[in-house]
Amino acid sequence: MSIEWIEPVLASTTSIGVVYLLGSLGEIYAERSGILNLGLEGIMAIGAAISFIITIAWGHALAFLVAGIFGILMGLLLAFFAVSLRLNQITVGLAITMLGLGLSGFITFPTTRKIILQTLNPELPGAVLETQSVSMLPSVPIPLLKEIPIVGPMFFNHNVVVYITLILAPLMWFLLFRTSAGLKIRSVGENPGMADALGINVFRIRYLTCILSGMFSALAGAYFMLGFQPFWIEGMTGGRGFITLSLIILSTWSPLRAIFGSLLFGGIEVLQYRLQLFGLGATSPQFVLMLPYAIAVITLSLLSVESFRKRISAPAALAKPYYREG
Amino acid sequence: MSVTPLVELRGIVKKFPNVVANDHVDFSLMPGEVHALLGENAAGKTTLMNILYGLYHPDEGEIYVKGKKVKIRSPADSIKLGIGMVHQSFRLIPVHTVWENVVLGLKEAGFILNKKKLAETVKKVCEEYGWNIDPNAKVWQLSVGEKQQVELLKLLIRNVDILILDEPTSVLTPQETKNLFKALRIMAEKGKGIILITHKLEEVFEVGDRVTVMRKGKVVATKPTNEVTAEELANLMIGRPVLFKLEKPEVKKGNVVLEAIGLKAMGDRGVLALDDVNLRVHSGEILGIAGIAGNGQEELVEVLAGMRKAHGGRVFIDGEDVTNKGVKYLIEKGVVYIPPESTRWALVREMRLVENVALKLYRSKDFSSKFTINWRKLFEFSKKLVEEYDIAAHSPSILASALSGGNLQKVVLARELSTTRDGKVPKLILAAYPTKGLDVAATEFVQSLLLKYRSLGSAIIFLSEDLEEIMMLSDRVVVMSRGRIAGEFLPTEKTIEEVGMMMVKDSAA
Amino acid sequence: MFKLERRVYPSRKTSGLVIFLSFLLAFFVTGLIFYFLGVNVVQFYSIIGNVFITPVLFLQAVFRSIPIILSSLGLVVAFRMGFWNIGAEGQIYLGMVAATGIVILHVFYDAIPVSLMLIAMGVASFLAGGAWCLIAASLKAKLGVNEVLTTLMLNYIAMLFVDYLVYGPWRDPEGWGFALSIPFPDYATLTFGGHPSVAGITISVAVAALVYVLFKYTKLGFVLSVLGKSSEVAKYAGMSVGRATLLGSLISGGIAGLGGFYVVSGMIGRLRPRASPGYGYTAIIVAMLAQLNPWLILPAGIFFGGLLTAGDALQSLLRLPASTITVFQSVIFLCIVLAEFFMRYKVVLKR
Repeated sequence: MSIEWIEPVLASTTSIGVVYLLGSLGEIYAERSGILNLGLEGIMAIGAAISFIITIAWGHALAFLVAGIFGILMGLLLAFFAVSLRLNQITVGLAITMLGLGLSGFITFPTTRKIILQTLNPELPGAVLETQSVSMLPSVPIPLLKEIPIVGPMFFNHNVVVYITLILAPLMWFLLFRTSAGLKIRSVGENPGMADALGINVFRIRYLTCILSGMFSALAGAYFMLGFQPFWIEGMTGGRGFITLSLIILSTWSPLRAIFGSLLFGGIEVLQYRLQLFGLGATSPQFVLMLPYAIAVITLSLLSVESFRKRISAPAALAKPYYREG
Repeated sequence: MSVTPLVELRGIVKKFPNVVANDHVDFSLMPGEVHALLGENAAGKTTLMNILYGLYHPDEGEIYVKGKKVKIRSPADSIKLGIGMVHQSFRLIPVHTVWENVVLGLKEAGFILNKKKLAETVKKVCEEYGWNIDPNAKVWQLSVGEKQQVELLKLLIRNVDILILDEPTSVLTPQETKNLFKALRIMAEKGKGIILITHKLEEVFEVGDRVTVMRKGKVVATKPTNEVTAEELANLMIGRPVLFKLEKPEVKKGNVVLEAIGLKAMGDRGVLALDDVNLRVHSGEILGIAGIAGNGQEELVEVLAGMRKAHGGRVFIDGEDVTNKGVKYLIEKGVVYIPPESTRWALVREMRLVENVALKLYRSKDFSSKFTINWRKLFEFSKKLVEEYDIAAHSPSILASALSGGNLQKVVLARELSTTRDGKVPKLILAAYPTKGLDVAATEFVQSLLLKYRSLGSAIIFLSEDLEEIMMLSDRVVVMSRGRIAGEFLPTEKTIEEVGMMMVKDSAA
Repeated sequence: MFKLERRVYPSRKTSGLVIFLSFLLAFFVTGLIFYFLGVNVVQFYSIIGNVFITPVLFLQAVFRSIPIILSSLGLVVAFRMGFWNIGAEGQIYLGMVAATGIVILHVFYDAIPVSLMLIAMGVASFLAGGAWCLIAASLKAKLGVNEVLTTLMLNYIAMLFVDYLVYGPWRDPEGWGFALSIPFPDYATLTFGGHPSVAGITISVAVAALVYVLFKYTKLGFVLSVLGKSSEVAKYAGMSVGRATLLGSLISGGIAGLGGFYVVSGMIGRLRPRASPGYGYTAIIVAMLAQLNPWLILPAGIFFGGLLTAGDALQSLLRLPASTITVFQSVIFLCIVLAEFFMRYKVVLKR
């Protein structure tokens, strides 16, 4: 096989990988502070749906903005239930996912969509109201770098969001591991009692990380729509939000390793299509599709083994509500 | 000219539902001194320090720090005032490095963390106190002594002037203890004040400048350590209580029911809790285990009850080797375990009384068939127990959470001691602090119950923090210290003061 | 002014009241959301209400509630023992697979006599669903792996496995290439009593009774209840925690598997991809709404079955998407979760 087919594969890998990467950046912060956001899937769906609607009504830039705002709102909802009311994060997360999936299906449905679009932008022509797809984000190839074999097409021939995400990831890694703010966040997730005793505001930090998680998840959904699959299908997120959760575990809660993890999962997805093209797909595509979920289960099991637990483990206070004693 | 004390507590009163933990306590700490706070368990020392640290609020009294009157609402407040506390259970993050733990939340660390500089800073502070920890090591890799140093570093780097240490040497080896005391002296020389909560007399003299003895919530004495002897301190700690006689009938001792040889077991904190324990109990005998709590008594009964693994040694019941056979096996052999704080760990508050009774009896042939439980019979049986034990419940179907502590304890006892265990009397009763937190009536009830089973032929191991109670109830007494049996005698052979000395002396001495 | 006081233990009356109020709140909030989205709220609620008063529609509601009820009963077992089984959806799919497998064994290999078909299918789907749940349970028992993510991941794997079967080896050779299994022969469908609902309700009531008996009278049920309240106390009482976890999850997944059996055998008559529109997830809401009481699962399940039926009417009459119902369901879910807060704390007026 010649090298020609590798480059598009790699490019697509990054393309889809960024969906996972964006989503994980915010959630890593939340989990590092002790909050498990099972609502990721639903928030991603909302982000996609909102970006779809808003792009039709107002254009790309605002789409990301509004999606982000909705993400923040969902994050606040999670924070209120999980941090202030100290309710069970699992049930809250599941409920938020259902809400997100339901709302996203609702606002993109042809009849209801029309009403919303007309309220947002009364001047839209009729044809546009019926449209099934939106324009994708334009590609911004970087002149010299894109000529580099293999790496070039993989990283340097994408839209702006991809570039921003790839830059954000190491920045967020730095923020988490090399700054005192990051140390505080991590400590809140390991031993909130200790952090509290040292004067750190556990609740404020958790609210902030919840907002981050919601925002990034929604943006991931928006990117998915505008950067990858610009037409709405019900259930298009297809569990990618949950895969992101397993990806985070696989990446052991590090934004840098999440880059590799998301490229891995992106690659698996891309390979699935390719395998079918080569006729291998007839009986196997589902098994390849199962890989992300199976890998997640295996990683979770491995991480629980005692010798690993001490070195690479989940934040100790993850999903445990914090009660101040005394 | 008098120096302003670092801390002054005046007239502190703190009450809890059943007890007055601090009864008009006055206490002061001078700069440059190591002030030992001595007393038995439940004397009020930890409560007092928790008030100073901000975990509790006093009902009455005033707190002065460096001459100014203050209100301490939380640990964050106390740190701002320069007060820090090191607890017996550490508050560290094992997966983070030493410097990350120490520097957390410190404004001086800056926004971007300069690993090298911060590690160096931590190292420098270490060296001031004679410590040798690698600041880049992960905390889980450290020894217990080193972890404690990290806890101290957390405070020292925040320029804490008043340090409270709660029984710091209970988890340390002798060498680590020496290092700690050296460091404490250095801190004192720098003008800091240290409060050392302890029950070990030798420590008071080794590192203390002054000592305050507390007993039953009151301060009994405050003296410079060079003006007092160990015997005097022991007396002050234990006091001369009025022995209140209980009718103890003569019971003939039977065969050896329980024999433990060379028992070794690890504690929860990774330190050896039982170190070569040997003992025997006969049927119809109450063996009392005295000693300051935390010296292995709890772990001992846990091992005997099958709740904790023995890493060495053997346990025999009626001559049969039952070492590490597990809870279920021992229950079937007739071993009854009344755990400490049993109302927390042996009962489910959200379940009904009858269901709690069923916790231990649901397997019994009297109340069950192969797959099902006969609740009606259990209900009737529970009604009987309620009557027999005078439990304040109008029906066995009320929730356990509706009962008071004393009544809950009665439920546990009733269940454990009920003779309808396929018709047999318990062979071995392990009662760990069964009267703790109970009022006088309930206490008497428990005590007479134990005596009753003694007459019926059960072998009983009895743990209590109340020395009077042990001397009164036991046929034989052993004292445990540092995981070993420090002494064995009959209650008639020794006075309470002598026992008190045994309890606080280092068993290796 | 207001202070929050921790309750000792809410009485059943209080719990019931709080749940009822949260239910009302859900209706209110949903109405609000839909009002702003341009939906005729009055019509919305009247269509839903209509389902429960029109006999034909009510029967439909019951019909569609059976898989929800069954998987929810399975969740009752799991949740009461403290095992967060989010994998009911996957267990349903495995149940479907097993039941279909039996049919295939019978049709192509004559392996099972006609008279035993339904029983064999039932048993097989129970075991398959149970085994699927056991995977997550053993990981928890042996390695301490948290069951939430594992059961969730297994859902997707199960769904994809069904896809694989119907697109692959189990595709009906006479099905014109569609991804469907062979249709089940009549004697392999749950149609006794005229309408599948009859079979469904019978099975549901029977299972509810069994779950009730399990927890009220059996030793295992007692052990599971204690385990769910405090694993330390269970250990103290000499109960074997590991064994109970495995047994309990086998039962839980098994009952959900029966739900899958009903879907392929009583509802569709064959196996196809995505045969479950999220029954296993709806089951979670139903279980919490019913406060883990097996008898209350029946009416709660029928309510949600009714919502599904209403969804059809909403689509045809108001041209609203099916996800409208999902929004309503999720708001109910959130309100029930919120209710838990008020069951834990009492709002007290302090002067």
